[in-house]
Order: sequence, then structure tokens, then C-alpha cells
Amino acid sequence: MGQAGSGLSLFSLMTSIPEIEKEAQKELGLVKTAQDLEAFRVAYLGKKGRITGLMEHLKGLDGEAKKQFGIEVNRLKQSVQEAIQSKKETFEDSLPAREVFDPTLAPVLPQTGKIHPITQTIQEIVRIFDRLGFEMVQGPEIETEFYNFTALNIPLDHPSRDGFDTFYTKQGQHLLRSQTSTVQIRVMQQRKPPLRVIAPGRVYRPDAVDASHSFMFHQIEGLMVDEDVTFSDLKGVLHLFLKELFGSDTKLRFRPHYFPFTEPSMEVDIRWGKKGWLEILGAGTVHPNVFKQAGYDSKRLQGFAFGLGIERMAMLRHQIPDIRHFYDNDLRFLRQFS
Amino acid sequence: MKVSANWLKDFVTLNPPFEKIAEDLTLAGLEVKKVEPVPGQKDHLFEIEITSNRPDWLSHIGVAREIAAAQNLSFKAPEMPKVPNRPMPQGWKINLKDQEACPYYTGVYIEGVQNLATPDFMKDRLAACGIRSISLIVDITNYVLLETGQPLHAFDADLLSGQEIQVRRAKAEEKFTAINGQAYPLASHDLVIGDSEKAVALAGVMGGKDTEVSARTRNIFLESAFFHPRFVRHTSRRLNLSSDSSYRFERRVDPEGVDYGRERAIALIEKYAKPRFISAVVKAGQKPVLAKPVIHLSVQETVKKLGAPLKQHQILSILNRLGFDSKQDSAESVKVHIPSFRADVTEPVDLIEEVARIYGFENIPETLPVRAPAGVSQSPLYRLEEDARNYCAAAGCYETVTFSLISTHGLDAEKELAQAVGVNNPQNQELSWMRPFFWPSFCQVIQKNLSWGAQRIPVFEIANLYHWNAAKKSITEQRWLGIALAGKFREKSWLDSERNYSFYDLKGILSGWLEHAGAEEVCFREIEKSFLINPGAETITVNGEVCGYVGEIHPRKLKHWDVNVPVYFAEVCLENVLTAVSQKRIFAEIPKYPSITRDLSVTVADSVNSGVIEEEIKKLGKGIVTHVELFDLFRGGRVPKGYKNLAYRVIYQSLEKTLLSEDIQKVHSGIAARIVEKYQASFQ
Repeated sequence: MGQAGSGLSLFSLMTSIPEIEKEAQKELGLVKTAQDLEAFRVAYLGKKGRITGLMEHLKGLDGEAKKQFGIEVNRLKQSVQEAIQSKKETFEDSLPAREVFDPTLAPVLPQTGKIHPITQTIQEIVRIFDRLGFEMVQGPEIETEFYNFTALNIPLDHPSRDGFDTFYTKQGQHLLRSQTSTVQIRVMQQRKPPLRVIAPGRVYRPDAVDASHSFMFHQIEGLMVDEDVTFSDLKGVLHLFLKELFGSDTKLRFRPHYFPFTEPSMEVDIRWGKKGWLEILGAGTVHPNVFKQAGYDSKRLQGFAFGLGIERMAMLRHQIPDIRHFYDNDLRFLRQFS
Repeated sequence: MKVSANWLKDFVTLNPPFEKIAEDLTLAGLEVKKVEPVPGQKDHLFEIEITSNRPDWLSHIGVAREIAAAQNLSFKAPEMPKVPNRPMPQGWKINLKDQEACPYYTGVYIEGVQNLATPDFMKDRLAACGIRSISLIVDITNYVLLETGQPLHAFDADLLSGQEIQVRRAKAEEKFTAINGQAYPLASHDLVIGDSEKAVALAGVMGGKDTEVSARTRNIFLESAFFHPRFVRHTSRRLNLSSDSSYRFERRVDPEGVDYGRERAIALIEKYAKPRFISAVVKAGQKPVLAKPVIHLSVQETVKKLGAPLKQHQILSILNRLGFDSKQDSAESVKVHIPSFRADVTEPVDLIEEVARIYGFENIPETLPVRAPAGVSQSPLYRLEEDARNYCAAAGCYETVTFSLISTHGLDAEKELAQAVGVNNPQNQELSWMRPFFWPSFCQVIQKNLSWGAQRIPVFEIANLYHWNAAKKSITEQRWLGIALAGKFREKSWLDSERNYSFYDLKGILSGWLEHAGAEEVCFREIEKSFLINPGAETITVNGEVCGYVGEIHPRKLKHWDVNVPVYFAEVCLENVLTAVSQKRIFAEIPKYPSITRDLSVTVADSVNSGVIEEEIKKLGKGIVTHVELFDLFRGGRVPKGYKNLAYRVIYQSLEKTLLSEDIQKVHSGIAARIVEKYQASFQ
């Protein structure tokens, strides 16, 4: 069959190349599917394809003619191959034919839950103090009079116990802690100074439940003890913390107050828009008697402590009007916070 | 406490605006809640909140002293009226039987008082402070109380039996009718004032109805005393009876004020009630004195504690303004005499606080601790808790915060609360148990959310649970994770069909979390729980340690909360999990060779549990089978009634070579044969 083509002149062979190339381009332009592309490939590059056919003529040529035609026919073959390849890639980028696609159908959300706003507030506060080197610790909620009162410099039968009305248990000489300050003593008994700890948790007081009171709520207690911790350090740490929690333009007021376990003691107020000054936390310098009860050297050591109500913080941060929302656990409430 | 500006002016100059005074007082620790004009009077009223350590502020004199100190004004200290020599009263005497409860008791007999009108200034000031005018004598005692802080009591002397005033404990079964008309049964701890027949006053708390002064009263016996705070407080609390008097005695009155208050009242009575005769004072006992009347304060210590650059002269100035007679002791120290009205000051730190609050907390600089933190460790339990919380939320559950106190609602109290810790004085009578489990709280949450139409109610909580060990007489309090799943796992959407939560979803969350937490082996073994459907409840064992349980809450229980959908419930002790799991994550070689997957499908009786067969496959394929998973469960069709078809995907893997079909064929057939034999199974 090779010899059979020898009848064609080099000239006609050479002119057929651009013709075939032109036709190939035209046909390839009309190719719309992968099947059509395969048919096209077979038509040009298959065993009986047009370009394959042209290659056959090489056998009938010699010398310069063979070389000249060879270059041209190979160029044509390569160009068609490349065209097929690039067409093929356009098909691979898109998907097989399918139904009409509607991207506006409702998205299918993963079913996730939420963390309770009380916990979120605790996490936020713990994170801030973590950056200041305070470690999170926890203590029991069922406590003894020693940890809840005596060790905190609150003597029996003292009017200062009025503010700490307390639940007592049926079994054993126990009570439900009325403040997280109990953890101060437990930590000091277990560890040597210096100390920087923060202790969140549940506390209990037999209060009537209303929009701002509950018989169970959460507090967070902070304690720092070292040889040279001052009242001015307490002011600095609290200001840093409250600015971090409520924003850098937060205005504070430090107001003297009375707590049996700190001296000097203070309440910290925060400027809250039209509401004016809002009491936000209690704090003070650790009372020497507290150090003595915990077995610390009250002459050598100084420290500060502070305590704040979590619910109050969360209510302020999220503008929640009623404390009872926290304990109702209505999912329509819980899913608002993240 | 309500404080009249006009009244204060008797002792200190008030420089308006009053709002500024209020602010200065507040920043000195005497919190003024509000200041406003008194309607119809040319007066202003301060509403002050007084901390329990400062009974000396419970008087106009005390508040005036504080204003003078805070604003650096001069304080017009009240002077003891000159007491003329008065004759001893005929027959009157005091029998002080309990000097602990009443260290100091005084009185005067006043004859022929006239029931004249209370002067206007007194009426106005009392009215401004919220005290209604009753009669001249009563008004004067109230006036002196508000001015000096010393409570007084006037008896109608003609209504007393005999002339001996007894200060004694109540007798057994003794009864007492107070001025408020209420009868109170007395206890032996109560201190009373008695005449020769009966109790005529509850000491420091309230006078008696029978001896009350009235418009007809002509002769009075006026009492001024120091009652011990503890006794007054005890009686007041026990009888739930408090008064302006008890409020002050409980907090400790100024012992010097006993005499001063009495003489101030006598002067007012003399002036306005025009009595015929005032006796000399009859008294018993001793004025209590301070344990430490002198304290030395170090300037250096003050500066070191506060971090403020205070000078000795500033400290001296502040303390003297507050009524502490203070002098330079050395270049570094100050000698401070504590006045009788400041029993709260017992050590140097108390004085440092006084200095700080008058110096002004706002004037103390803000600094940050200079030393590096001692450590940077994080509690492993807290970390486990945070991980559990994040896992549960990511798994679709909402975190709840429910009360730790529960009622007996829906519980068999005798059995289910046998190990619960009870509360003696619950605020709400129903909530009297510290919960030993989460499920009743969850039932309530589920009920609440079902009631508004929630379809999907997956919840969890991390909190302490409490158990009483009767044998050891001890309370265990541990951190637990509780989970409850109710309603739909997924609602119908355009893409997916709906599906309800199942027991297996809960086990999935538990297994997934425990694996995430570092558990190598999690096992579930059958147990019984009174509030779960049995059989079906299982314990959760992590690396051999029992950590909790899982099951479905019995409908018999759910009906107490009107919950009519299945509730799957689990709780896990975080502390147990923490000890059971490994904190370390060690790299395991990734297989270099491909694995082979074979299915194993068997038909067994319904009574054979799938987990048992799964365990058997693992056991028989030990070393080569790396994973077994049930992928199909089928009943009906060609499967006979009472039977089920279970299809497992079994993965074979070697770390040494590429497994060929021939390598595993024998093992796989062996497993199949063994299961057929052991569980009377057949291949389907």
C-alpha cells in the first residue's frame, strides 16, 4: 500500500497539509461531547485516520522530499494532538450532563449545639487571667463552716454572716458554699506561695428567685499571693481585666467596702451608659487572719483576692434582662449565644 | 439608713451641692444610694447603705464625723451634758444577773413628765428619717437613737411591779407580749428585763406591751444599756423580730454612748417634758473596754501594703480626722488610740484601710505585679472538661445549666435518693436534694422545650454530682458529664429524610468523645438502673475502669414530666475518665501494604446480640483483623420470623506484607464456621 501512494506528487501532499489542518480546526470547534471528541480523534489520528494516512506517504518519498514532508506532517500531528488534549481538559473540568442545577436551594447545615452563655463567660474570664498567669482551679461546692466562714475571718454569730445566708446539709456538718472564696483557703493549704489562681464555680444562697436573684448562681474567685503584691497591683490587674472584658474605654470606680476576708476591701463599679455606676465585683487585700488560717506567714506575704458574679457579667455583656433565662434552658435562648 | 442634712448640720458644716457630699461619702466607703429633698421641708435626705462592720455610722453623729474626715472639715463633737448632782431614787435598784449578756446597765427614774407636744424640729427630723411621731417621751428616745446610735427604752414606772429591775435570762415556758402586740414564747438563751413578776422587755430587741409608755404616763424608768451583740442577735433571729434597737445592739453600740445617750435624752426630757423630778443614775456592771486600745502603725508597712507614696504626716492627719487620737511614735511609726466606738479596729491592717479610704482609693496608683507567674500549668481535669464540652456541642448538643438542687418529683425517694445529700433549709421546700444524677433535670428541660414545639432536643451538662456514703459518713463530689437526647436527630429536609435520635447516636457520641479523649478501649456491659429500661442499660468502661452508664429513660419516669418521646441518657464521671485515659498520643505506623475487605453475613436468632458476634470476630481474627463494623441489619423477606440477618464489614491488614486472597480465605471461613457453630447461625 506504501507504493500505491507514490503517485501523489510532493506538491499535492504538501498542499493537503494546511487543508487538513483547517478542516480539523473547524471540526474540532463543533465537538461538544467527549464521545464526539473521541470520534474526531479516530477520524484524524486513528489507524485509518486522515493524518495517519498522510504518514503512510512518507514511505514513498526519499531524500529532501521525505525530510520536508516529514517535518510538516509531524507538526500537523502534534498540533492536532495538542488541540485534542486541551479540548479534553475542558470536558474533564465540567461534570457529566445532569438535571438543572439550582444553587439557591436551602443549605444543609451541620447539626451543632451551643455552649451555655454562663460557661462562655467563664471561659472568657479564665482566658484573660490565663494570659496574666492565673491558673484555673476548682473546689467542692459542699463545704464546711471552716472553709466558708471561719477561715475567711467570719466568726460565728457575727453580723457579717448575715450577708451569707447559707444552706446546710442533712448529713454531716456541711453546708453549700455561699461564695467561691472557699477555694482561696483550699489552694493555700495545698500549695506553697507564690500563687496566682482563678476559681469559677457554683454557689448557693437561700434567696428568693426573681429577675436578678437565684438560690444558685456562679462566681469566679481570683487570688494572688507573693511577697510584694500591693493594693495598687490589684487595681492595675482589675482594670486590665475589665477593659479586656468590656472594652478599652471602660470607666471604673474603686469604692471602699467591707468584706471580712480582705482589708482594705472595695467594690468596683463600672460606668454603664444611662444606668450610671454599676457594681461589678468585690476585691481587696488578703486579710492577715486569712493567711494565718491557711497556714501562711502573714508577716512575710501579701496578696489580693477578688470575686465576681458570672450571671451579672453575662447579663451585662448580652443584655439579658432576667437571670431566670440562664436556668430555663430554652433552646431558643441557648442558640443565641456563641 | 436615712440621714437628715439639717440634723447633720448640728455637727458639721455641709457645703452644697449635696451630690458632692454623697459622692465623697460613697468614695470613702459610706455608700449613699440617693440624696433628695425632703418633701415639704427645707431639708435633704441621704439614703445610706452601711456595712456591718461600722455600727458607729448608724447615727447622725457618726455620719457627720465621716463627712468631716472625708472633706477635711471640722467636726463639732457632741459634749457630755453637765450632770448635776441628783438624788438617788427611793427604792429603785438594778439586779444584773448576767454580766456576759449585759455588761453594763443604767437607768434613771423620772417623775411627773408632762405629755406635751413634740417640738416641730424633732417631729420634722424624725419624719424625714421615716419615724412616725408617737408621744413626746417615745419621740425623744427615737431621736436620741438616730442622733447618737444608742437605743433607749422608757418603761411606764407605774405599770412595773416593784422597783427592782432584773436583767436575767428568760425562765422556762415564760411568755412575753411585745409592744407590737405579738406574744412570743421565750427560751433560756433570751435575755429579758424583768420586774418582780414578769418579763417587761426583750433586752435590746423590744419593750413589753404591759409597761409601754402612753399619753397617761406620768412617771418613767429610762433604760440605757450595753447588751452583748450575740445575745440580741440570737433572740432577734430566733423570733424573727428586729427593731432599730436590735439592729444596733447586734452590731455593738458604743459603750461610752450608753452614758452619753442617756444624758442627752434626760436633757431633752427636762427641756420639753418638764418633769418634776429626775433621779440620779442607778447602774450595774462595767462598760466593756477595747482589748487593744492602742495600736502602733508602721508607715513603711502602710506604704508597702498599699503601693501608695504616703507620708507620716498624711497618715496622722487622716487618723486624727477620723477620731483616732494619733501621735508620732518614731520617724517610722504612729501611735494610735482607738476610740470606744471603733471596736472594729483591732490591728494595724484595720488602720491601713482607714488611711487608704480617706486618702482615696482613686489616688492609689494602678500597677501590675512585677514578678513572673510561678507556673503555667493547666488543670488536666479542666482540659478534659473543655474538650468534652466542645465535642458535645460539635456533636449537636446544647449545653444546659440546671439547678444542682432537685425535688423528689418523679423519683422513688427511698431507693433513688438513698445516697443523695439532703439540704436542711431549702429555699424552695421542694428542692431539698443535691442531685446524684442529671436525668430529672434533663427531663424538665426536655418537657419545657417540647412544650413550645422543639423537635430536636439534644442537651448536655457538665457539673458536680453528689453522693453520700453512709458507711464512711462522707460526701463524694465529682465532676460529671451528662447527656440526654430526645426527639429528632434530623428533621426532614429537601435533601434528607427525617430520623429520630436513637440509643446508638448516644453511644456514638460517647465512644467518639472517649476515643478523642485518649481511651484505647471503650466497653459497654449490661446493668440495671431503676429509672432506665432494663435490659438495655449499659455501663461504660474505659480501659477497664467503669466511668458511667447509658440507657433509655423508662416511660414510667418520663410521664411525670409529660414527656412522650424516648429520652436516651448517659452520664460519665470525668475524674474517672481522666485516670483511665492516656494523655499521650503516640504515633502508630501507617500500614505500607493494602488491606483486604471481606463481608460476613449471618442469620441469627433475635436473642443473639450483634455486639457479641462483633467481639467474636475480633477475637478469632486477632492479629490480622483490624476493623469490624456492622453495616446492615435485616429482618423479614427470606429471613425467618424471630431471626435477623447481620452483615459485617471485616478488614484484614498485615503490617509485614501485601495480603493475598489465599492468605485470608482460611481465617475468614474459620471465623464464619465458628460463628455458625457457636450461635446457631446460618449464612444467608
